[in-house]
Amino acid sequence: MKRRYLILVGFLVLIALGPLILPEFYVTLLNYIGLYAIVALGLVLLTGVGGLTSFGQAAFVGLGAYSTAYLTTASELPVWMAPFGASPWLALLVGLALTAMVALLLGALTLRLSGHYLPLGTIAWGISIYFLFGNLEFLGGHTGITGIPSLSVLGLEVRYGREFYYLIWAMLLVAVWLTQNLLDSREGRAIRALKGGTLMAEAMGVDTARSKTVIFLIAALYACLSGWLYAHLQRFVNPTPFGLHIGIEYLFMAVLGGAAHVWGALLGAGVITILKQWLQDLLPKIFGSSGNFEVIVFGVMMVLMLQRARDGLWPILAKLIPDSAGDRERSSVPHADPLPKKPLLQASEQLLEAKDVVKEFGGLVASNNMSFSVRSGEVLALIGPNGAGKSTMFNCISGVDPATSGKIFFRGEPVEKLNSREIARLGMSRTFQHVRLLPTMSVLENVAIGAHLRGSRGVLSALLHLERAEEQRLKAEAARQIERVGLKEHMFDQAGSLPLGKQRILEIARALAADPVLLLLDEPAAGLRYLEKQALADLLRRLRAEGMGILLVEHDVDFVMGLADRVVVMEFGEKIAEGLPEQVRQDPAVLEAYLGGVE
Amino acid sequence: MRVKLLLAALSIVTMASQAYADINVGVSLSATGPAASLGIPEKNTFALMPTTIAGQKINYIILDDASDTTKAVTNTKKLISEDKVDAIIGSTITPNSLAMIDVVAEAETPMIAMAASARIIEPMDAKRRWVFKTPQNDAQMAIAITQHMSKAGVKSVAFIGFSDAYGEGWWNEFSKMAEARKIKIVANERYNRADTSVTGQVLKLISANPDAVLIAGSGTPAALPQKSLKERGYKGAIYQTHGVANNDFLRVGGKDVEGTWLPAGPVLVAGQLPDANPLKKAALEYVKKYEAAHGAGSVSTFGAHAWDAGLLLAHAVPAALKKGKPGTKEFRVALRDALETTKELAGAHGMFNMSPSDHLGFDQRAYVMVQIKDGKWKLQQ
Amino acid sequence: MDMQIALLLGQDGITNGAIYALLALALVLVFAVTRVIFIPQGEFVTLGALTLANLQAGKTPGTIWLLLGAGAAIAVIDCTISLRTGTIRRIPRILLWSVAYPCGTALLLFLVNPAELPMLAQVVLSLMLIMPLGPMIYRLAFQPVAEASVLVLLIVSVAVHLTLVGLGLLFFGAEGSRTLAFSDATFKFGSILMSGQTVLVLASSALLIAALFWFFERTLYGKALRATAINRTGARLMGISTVMAGRLSFLLAAMIGALSGILIAPIATIYYDTGFLIGLKGFVGAIVGGLASYPVAAAGALLVGLLEAYSSFWASAFKEVLVFTLIIPVLMWRSLTTHHVEQDE
Repeated sequence: MKRRYLILVGFLVLIALGPLILPEFYVTLLNYIGLYAIVALGLVLLTGVGGLTSFGQAAFVGLGAYSTAYLTTASELPVWMAPFGASPWLALLVGLALTAMVALLLGALTLRLSGHYLPLGTIAWGISIYFLFGNLEFLGGHTGITGIPSLSVLGLEVRYGREFYYLIWAMLLVAVWLTQNLLDSREGRAIRALKGGTLMAEAMGVDTARSKTVIFLIAALYACLSGWLYAHLQRFVNPTPFGLHIGIEYLFMAVLGGAAHVWGALLGAGVITILKQWLQDLLPKIFGSSGNFEVIVFGVMMVLMLQRARDGLWPILAKLIPDSAGDRERSSVPHADPLPKKPLLQASEQLLEAKDVVKEFGGLVASNNMSFSVRSGEVLALIGPNGAGKSTMFNCISGVDPATSGKIFFRGEPVEKLNSREIARLGMSRTFQHVRLLPTMSVLENVAIGAHLRGSRGVLSALLHLERAEEQRLKAEAARQIERVGLKEHMFDQAGSLPLGKQRILEIARALAADPVLLLLDEPAAGLRYLEKQALADLLRRLRAEGMGILLVEHDVDFVMGLADRVVVMEFGEKIAEGLPEQVRQDPAVLEAYLGGVE
Repeated sequence: MRVKLLLAALSIVTMASQAYADINVGVSLSATGPAASLGIPEKNTFALMPTTIAGQKINYIILDDASDTTKAVTNTKKLISEDKVDAIIGSTITPNSLAMIDVVAEAETPMIAMAASARIIEPMDAKRRWVFKTPQNDAQMAIAITQHMSKAGVKSVAFIGFSDAYGEGWWNEFSKMAEARKIKIVANERYNRADTSVTGQVLKLISANPDAVLIAGSGTPAALPQKSLKERGYKGAIYQTHGVANNDFLRVGGKDVEGTWLPAGPVLVAGQLPDANPLKKAALEYVKKYEAAHGAGSVSTFGAHAWDAGLLLAHAVPAALKKGKPGTKEFRVALRDALETTKELAGAHGMFNMSPSDHLGFDQRAYVMVQIKDGKWKLQQ
Repeated sequence: MDMQIALLLGQDGITNGAIYALLALALVLVFAVTRVIFIPQGEFVTLGALTLANLQAGKTPGTIWLLLGAGAAIAVIDCTISLRTGTIRRIPRILLWSVAYPCGTALLLFLVNPAELPMLAQVVLSLMLIMPLGPMIYRLAFQPVAEASVLVLLIVSVAVHLTLVGLGLLFFGAEGSRTLAFSDATFKFGSILMSGQTVLVLASSALLIAALFWFFERTLYGKALRATAINRTGARLMGISTVMAGRLSFLLAAMIGALSGILIAPIATIYYDTGFLIGLKGFVGAIVGGLASYPVAAAGALLVGLLEAYSSFWASAFKEVLVFTLIIPVLMWRSLTTHHVEQDE
């Protein structure tokens, strides 16, 4: 741990000393690396962490550059705009506001696009904004705007490369700090959960559309900031540095550096910039002429590098630093005051009631007139052969895929029209048949995602780490649930490194962290060994004793029979039996369904 | 300790490079990217330039800026701070050259641009004091075209140009000049260099029924609108700009570009110039050298802009050497002063007569009207 | 805009759209089989067209060096692997395709004067030069990362694109070329004059699409590709090698790209960097089809062609802005109608 900080401090000292000892040109290169890294940092957040691929960041850089270029050089500004032309800093505010507006508008349009439509959406706006810059006369057209003034910070003029260096790198480091803060927070976990698919995140109460918008906005604002710096460093803007090709290059930097790591942005921007420079110096000496071979060799080298390091270069570098992220946390199991809990349930309160629920998929009836109810302090098991419609029913109840018709009440309120986030807020929490975890995050962080709805501090306080008290309580709650399900010794391990059985238990801990009154468990015993099943059954009994309601979908009939208070049996989307385990076991219809008809 | 060693090593390196006192000229041009067809002949030209001037060895350090402004600025900074150049030549295109002005002015290093727009050297100010250029201003070429048009009785003209700085520069100048000569512009269209079809634009041009069409593009991409015009049966006069003046344009254009008018630097038709023309010798010298190295018919007028930049330097260096050693500020200042006082220097493209207010110094001798006849450039006498 | 202009623009849009559609099909195919978003698809258009142009001008196309170089690299890599894993019997086959074939083609180029060949022979020769590059690129660039994420494959794809554009500039120079027209005939449909070349583009595209359809529906290899596209693991269990499927899809993509280039080269000037924009338009079509549906991708590509033709008439300076802004509603519509829940199977 100490070594980590030493490395960081050493790095910062090197950065601070850089301009004092380096030749002028290296400072120039470092300036550009800093500018690129700010944009790539946004892409780390957007693409690497959030899983949203954008080719259009260069267009946001352009917005930042053009707004300041226009405001600080135009001779006849419209009256209402004139005050903003007075200082580049005011122009920065305008640029950021404009970028935010554009990003929100574009985000509203394109973030809804699923799958591969999003990258194309970003290409579309990247190209459109590029041509707009080129064809609007007041923005200097394709030729560009000259005579952009230099900056001043606290009365000091920032004019030359070495002065700019400190401004750029200070801003970059602040951006890195903010991004790291954000990722290490409740909002950050919500963002990281996006990559595991929206289904799990929404079930934990994360507003995924909002999280996507947040990272999109932050990435756009970083790009805008970089553009503003660029314009004042270069003191000239024209459309070429903001085209699609450059947008792709930013993505390139993020991926090569290691798109999932904050420092990867810096590394990627550095490696690509220096590599290009190096090729420009080296190749003419080999081939005797400049210009032709740089891009060819560059392309080939990129292919080879990605083949050797498909997660980017940062993980390789990070391995050289002896202690990994887990060690830092391991030293302290979080302790804090417990979070407020929902009021205790009355004994045997009606929690869930499904009435005549029908679900059709284009004419195919997957669930027909299903009715059942779950009370507090009760385990209800929903069983049936493969394809009986159990999972469909589960999705109707949890709001993932609303029912075609019928009523579902949760604690007396109709919920059939609510989405899974709203249902989660009411106190229903679930696990998944196919485990949905974030394999590279620690067990603790995975469980803390479950507590998402129990915190309230937003993005701004997360960026500045003003929410540490709440964060500590969330983490402590997660730790408590981990202890409760018996995974204490794995608290700081990577979730992906656990065996499947323990991953299922982890999902239960995550569901419990939401402080639910009803727990929906989708085949929790699948893949568990005998002793693990015993432990799971003990856990569920304890929860039942505390008054929780549990709806269990399960294949393992023995497991169910030893645990459930009541059993509902489904076949071909219909309920064929309901009752106490012993009764159901004797039911001829059930026997037929399970044993393929007893003649 | 290490830092000290590093600093010591650096100072030795810099001292070593000063000790030689060669003249170092930094070149940043667009050998790749969209402007590659302009940048490549320029790059080739530097290999033909003299290696010594007034007994001093001269090194050309050539960097590619990939038609990108950021790269052009990086190159310039590198040439100035790493290679300690005494002068900069470049870049190929207007936006890149504009972006370089601040850098060279700050470092007080003279720069000779090879791009067309007058904005590079106008309006003259403290920064542009350091900037010179060799290609004709697009305004001068626009004058040549509009003159020719009004002589030929053209009353209405349609414009189609590249959707980039080149097309834009031409539109700005041409529309002004045409208005002055009462030629009506009936259509204004744009297309991208790499477009595979311009049918939409061409239909619009034709439906405006102009007496003549001006196509503002460079190199082979300028042939596409003309081919489409012919294909759609357009019979009026077609004008091109000096940007098309290379043999590849004739190759791709084929019979569809017969009869095209264009203004060009005299170098394009050097052999047809009257012997009395003082530019003939200078232009032919370049053509011969280039074709000797790259084959008959390979010469392009863009390379000649680089050649002229070399001539300007060669002309100014002897005077500057008297005032200071290469690698020093005195030398650069003297070089700038010498460039500014260039008088009656015959280049491949025209006669340079510089002044503090005019850093190009071309007069009407710098352009001729040329027509394409039988697949060849024909000087209009 | 009168009727005739509308028809002419429509014709122009459909001609370009047909080319985009071919590329869109190739992109869908490559993505479905290998998960690679194949940015360099457009480069095959360029390489195909410029190789043919060079042959017609009697020059030796630089692409032969690429073929020889890529072949040599594969020979070295694969033979090393064979020696290390003791599968020496595979070596003759490796050498046949990576060394003997390129050398044979080079020899052929050396022996005949390509400018004197009949046009069909020139086309075949161009295809012989370009098509093998598809599988070779797959072997060198993508096969080692075949299991990586779509994002990494995309970035590799961008790197390959950069390399090929650089090579294109090196081989063919910055200026463009056209090839000779396949036909000088013109057809009159009412008041609309159509060049034989346009008719040829449309007919060949239709034919090629039909051939692809037949290939996927009727042939063993086609079915194998479809199986891989639907379920990679399943296909592998059924004995369909992913490597084979990958190479085959790249072979088809290279063929489609080169043929597209050869088809438009007589009506449009092709430059070393033309490919990117053409490929991008095909990509738009492919994405409209969700990178999965061939007919929708083709329809999307045709739409792009038409949008482009009409917007170049209405506001040529803002053509790209219009094309890409108008495509967004289509994307929204596609995105909303193909919306489905992430199934927790």
